[in-house]
Amino acid sequence: MSVVAIAVFVGALAVIATEWVHRTKAALVGAGLVVIVGVVDLEQATEAVDWGTLGLLIGMMVIVGLTERTGVFTYLALRVAQLSRGRPARLLFLLAGATGVMSAFLDNLTAILLVVPITLLIADVLRISPLPLVLTEVIASNVGGTATLIGDPPNIMIGTHVPELSFLDFIVNLAPVSAVTLGTVTTLLYLVFRRQLVTDPARIAELERLDPAADMRESRYVKRSLAVLVGTIVAFFLHAPLHLEPAVVALGGATIMLLVAGDDVEEALERVEWSTMFFFLGLFVMVGALEQQGVIERVADGLADLTGGSTLAEGLILLWGGAAGSAVVDNIPFTAAMLPVVDELTAGEPFDDALWWSLALGACFGGNATMIAAAANVAATGVLERSGQPISFLRFLAVGLPVTIVSLAIATVYLVLFQL
Amino acid sequence: MATVLGIELVPASVPVTATVREAAAVLTAHPVSAAAVLDEHQAVVGVFGGDDLLLSLFPRYLDELRHTTFARDDPALLERRAREAGEEAVRDHMARPVMVDVGASATHVAEVFLHCEFDALPVVAEGRFVGMLGRSEFCRAMLEATTPRREPQQPPSVAR
Repeated sequence: MSVVAIAVFVGALAVIATEWVHRTKAALVGAGLVVIVGVVDLEQATEAVDWGTLGLLIGMMVIVGLTERTGVFTYLALRVAQLSRGRPARLLFLLAGATGVMSAFLDNLTAILLVVPITLLIADVLRISPLPLVLTEVIASNVGGTATLIGDPPNIMIGTHVPELSFLDFIVNLAPVSAVTLGTVTTLLYLVFRRQLVTDPARIAELERLDPAADMRESRYVKRSLAVLVGTIVAFFLHAPLHLEPAVVALGGATIMLLVAGDDVEEALERVEWSTMFFFLGLFVMVGALEQQGVIERVADGLADLTGGSTLAEGLILLWGGAAGSAVVDNIPFTAAMLPVVDELTAGEPFDDALWWSLALGACFGGNATMIAAAANVAATGVLERSGQPISFLRFLAVGLPVTIVSLAIATVYLVLFQL
Repeated sequence: MATVLGIELVPASVPVTATVREAAAVLTAHPVSAAAVLDEHQAVVGVFGGDDLLLSLFPRYLDELRHTTFARDDPALLERRAREAGEEAVRDHMARPVMVDVGASATHVAEVFLHCEFDALPVVAEGRFVGMLGRSEFCRAMLEATTPRREPQQPPSVAR
């Protein structure tokens, strides 16, 4: 049965990586197969699902979706662009910073879906190519999202899987290295793109004439939505002393949002990306099958043998291997498979968070390497394609891979000096 | 002129090889908001409607935006976009077709209209296009068919 579990998981990963069919279909077919063949029974499959991850994602999607209606995120993106006064370096750094911060506190996929369309409009107003701006935003979203428990799907999965790690732990351990990395890679991107960002003063004046608050004035839910969003983020900071799981905070925030700013429950729930939820569901069941058959234990034992039990070596393998795995198959399934492996590696020892930070940095930073490595990349390149400005796999790789290597180098120094 | 349920159909169609400019000309020449896109066998392969025309005339990212009150028109950009869009192939802008058969019941047509985004549907007979059925034409025909005819007024009776 372990051969079946491995074959199904590897097959699903191959289908996801090659985009042969939609990733949700691949994950659900895989999950269905392991249950039908009898690798796991229904009870085991249900237990394998990390309902906390799904709850956290659903809660945040509702909160952000209902806040988006108010136009507040459009205001932020436009205001940030105006603050640049058309200076290329300032424009790139401000957009990267804003996207990074939004990713950290909303999640990077949502941030990208909010920021990229308005960036296309800003690029049109300035009459510059949107590609340098959008690529910078994608990279900033993956790096910025690394800073918090809710910023990037791998962190959401780690944060809900490991109850010892709080929202604040993520910020203390990952935000500084994310900030340094964001500054460094944005500088590199500026050096690469600076010639494409030169703007005409007349166009800058046109950008500054726009009234970014115009849409917010038309919405009656701005104050309520922002209050719930900010309240939820504050509650994330306090979830550990309050003994509330992150998913409870997100779902609680979503419920309050529905009560105070969601006149139509059906419409609010349409903001949830159900295909992503079912993708996670399928992945968890397939990984549960691998666990059930002892495959994960054997991988962890192999890794421990390879490293001789050295935490430093294990951490660096998780970092660089995690990035490589994420680049090839998407960081969500990769993280789903690695969670139980790290569980095995840390089993029987006093709790040490170092390997979890290695996995988080590897999976999140690795998300920048290729077009398919992270959900935010897929979303951004999809918007570009629908807008008639597609970016090729190789063009993305030419920017994403060097950025990933630089990010991993920074992460290596950080882990060696402060964690491992 | 072909009819369905007693309603005259509109012959609004373009070949799949047409440009957006040609499709737009067909739309403006007929009293329906969508035209059928046909292959060489007169089979419907797509529908080109008002939304598709709008998306071809304006930057395509407009479909991804929800807040544009602040936006100002850039005439040069819009003119260039319209010029480029005119030469683009209609097949790159058309939507997947939703059709009804020439023998469809009024109930079925009403259900299809309720669940589709178009204000006009291609009507087909044995897989070949016969004409476009407009939503408002259909509603008007249904109203006329279902409104009870007024009986000639009887003079009030005086007998008790």
